Amino acid sequence: MESNGYRILDSYKPGNAHFDEVFIDSGKPKEHYQNTVDHFNKLTLSDYERINNEVKSSFFNQGITFAVYAEDKKPDERIFPFDLFPRIIPKDEWQELENGVLQRNRAINLFLNDIYHKKLILKDKVVPADLIFSSKNYLKEMVDFTPPGGIYTHVSGTDLIKHTDGKYYILEDNLRCPSGVSYVLSNRLALKKSLFDLFNKLKAKAVYQYPEQLLEILKTVKPKNVDVPTVVVVTPGMYNSAYFEHSFLAQKMGVPLVEGRDLFVEKNFVYMKTIYGPQKVDVIYRRVDDEFLDPMHFRKDSMLGVPGLMNAYRAGNVTLANAPGTGVADDKAVYNYVPDIIKYYLNEEPILNNVKTYHCDREDDLKYVLENIDKLVVKPVDESGGYGITIGSTLTSEEIDAVKVKIKADTRKYIAQPIMSLSVHATYIEDNKEFEPRHIDLRTFSLLGKNSEYVLKGGLTRVALKRGNLIVNSSQGGGSKDTWVLD
Amino acid sequence: MLSRVANNLYWMGRYIERAEHFARYSKVIYFSALDAPILKTYDRDFVQESMLYMAGIFDMESKTEKDVLFKIGLDAQNSNSIISNVSMARENAHGARSAISTELWEAINRYYHLVISYPVDTYLTTGFYEFTQMILDQTSIVRGKIYGTLLHEGEWAIILIGMYIERVVQVIRIINSKLNDVFKIEQAGHSVTEQSFEWTTLLKCVEAFDMNRKHYASIPDKNQVLEFLLLNQSCPRSISNSLSGIMRYEEKIRISEKRDSETIGFKIGKLQQKYQYLTIDDFKDNVYELLNYTQEKILEIGSEFEKKYLSY
Repeated sequence: MESNGYRILDSYKPGNAHFDEVFIDSGKPKEHYQNTVDHFNKLTLSDYERINNEVKSSFFNQGITFAVYAEDKKPDERIFPFDLFPRIIPKDEWQELENGVLQRNRAINLFLNDIYHKKLILKDKVVPADLIFSSKNYLKEMVDFTPPGGIYTHVSGTDLIKHTDGKYYILEDNLRCPSGVSYVLSNRLALKKSLFDLFNKLKAKAVYQYPEQLLEILKTVKPKNVDVPTVVVVTPGMYNSAYFEHSFLAQKMGVPLVEGRDLFVEKNFVYMKTIYGPQKVDVIYRRVDDEFLDPMHFRKDSMLGVPGLMNAYRAGNVTLANAPGTGVADDKAVYNYVPDIIKYYLNEEPILNNVKTYHCDREDDLKYVLENIDKLVVKPVDESGGYGITIGSTLTSEEIDAVKVKIKADTRKYIAQPIMSLSVHATYIEDNKEFEPRHIDLRTFSLLGKNSEYVLKGGLTRVALKRGNLIVNSSQGGGSKDTWVLD
Repeated sequence: MLSRVANNLYWMGRYIERAEHFARYSKVIYFSALDAPILKTYDRDFVQESMLYMAGIFDMESKTEKDVLFKIGLDAQNSNSIISNVSMARENAHGARSAISTELWEAINRYYHLVISYPVDTYLTTGFYEFTQMILDQTSIVRGKIYGTLLHEGEWAIILIGMYIERVVQVIRIINSKLNDVFKIEQAGHSVTEQSFEWTTLLKCVEAFDMNRKHYASIPDKNQVLEFLLLNQSCPRSISNSLSGIMRYEEKIRISEKRDSETIGFKIGKLQQKYQYLTIDDFKDNVYELLNYTQEKILEIGSEFEKKYLSY
């Protein structure tokens, strides 16, 4: 396979300005990447492209696609870009990440319980009460209600980056309906088929257990008086961009995938409409946002929800995962307090770092932000998917002025952070037919049940495919990589 | 099983089956006509009319051969084209994604992508045979996954009920369409009832030629072929066999039913029993009457089935 001494990674230039995950400055691979680099270097470019194409068509056949609609044309289905070069995390490095993520989620869960009950952390002024009560994600429907098992955040997606200093930083917590886990499992399957030989040399921890673990976790929070719970996944429907994931998880757990219109509530119990009539539903892993859950309580125009669902939930007859109202804790303004939240409830030092965050509703912070927009990333506190973010170093002076106006108009809505330098990873760029450094981040997936917890080994490494781009979200043209935690 | 999902599965089965019959019929009619014995009547117009009749299209203005081939095959605007049927099959499979196996889903998804990416130019010039044959091959793969990768329980039974109901509908259409051809040829002054060509073609339209040869070991004629396609219990696409299929799979999902002539089980059983005890002599002089009666009953059974299981 080797031809003329050509090696496909020879032309790679390490991203010196950033933390390069794979190579040290001299161009030598780091120890835990040596095998992988050797493996790739044994492939010719045409071998690599053939494998790459096979993987693409496998994703295509699995239906891991999104549709691009153009007028007068058949919808064009495209796959989410996937890069064959796996991101590798050494065992010890992972262990610390896992501990940190779990610690964070335990504390956040206690925090949610507190702010919906006694509000001690607010009374002790560790977290400003205003910050919580002004959040549109703080739901009055949840006040003084304890979800089964005391669990709010059954599924959390924690986004991390590695900065120039080689340390991990938490970028944000996703506590509502974090998605992406189906890609982790599909990516692994694709890589096993295409680079099977590499798996013989490196032992990567398995990821296939996630759906089983999710189902077990969901069963731990069944309503009282239920022996064997009926679990379902609720999806907004097949035109939702995450439908692949919803159907994937339901199918892998072996539970029904239902839509709001398949459910109804009678006498505060939830039923699904089956071919033999109504069947009671006990635990709902819902992938529908809070505001669409129940038109009687939230958005009246919601066609995706189930009228009366919140009443059934509050009556303790059905469990919702995640609990409604968790969004108040992944608000980007609350983010800055998570280290304090960890200390407050767990009496532990935070294992993972937060990125320094400036709150525009604090006078000092606002002053700093307005004077230093060119050095900062400005984010709206309540948006997800990478929307509304401005990166100061890329703005013209007119654009900076426009951002200032936007911030001053609604200071509560914005936070700012130093421009963090995401680490880079060798990534195959199809247009140039070579590997180049591209920015990556990591979304971990952790589960919390009654007396049980689980973190998926690895997670979803997202990669920004455009050169220099820092935004890795798939909605903004990002791709993904398989992530290996070494055994 | 959710009623909505059952509805998706039922229609998935129907569309898969329908696309296959359309493709097979078009292929057989088109290619067998190329060297038909009565070439004069068998001109291209005649063939196109037959294909359009089968596809239920009676209002086409421009009828060049290419127009017709496009209309029945790759015209996404025509809801009865092969591409539309395959798209609907896939759409329904997508809606029931979590209820079917990964293997079945991927087989259907791959089938769909092969169809929608088939180049129209190739199809209209050199690819008509390849395209229609591909539909048949892909259907076989899908059918294999239905049998081999689903639990033989509710979901599986509902897909098969959809397929068998559609099979009865389409086989009746095929027979009608062919009888209509024969009628037209006879009107033009030719006698075909004694010739085997038309009946051989009809058998091939339901992939039953070899089976028929094995069963009768003689040259097919009208009555023999009708007997075979309507009454033979062992022929997988006969109406009698298909009715037994519907009955078998409906029993699989039925819980309990009172003895009542209005119930769906009763209606299926009655029709199936009628076919069990028919002979060709009972209907050879009035085939249309039996076909129409069966068509009417099967549509009634289909809508009863939808009402009972699929529309909660």
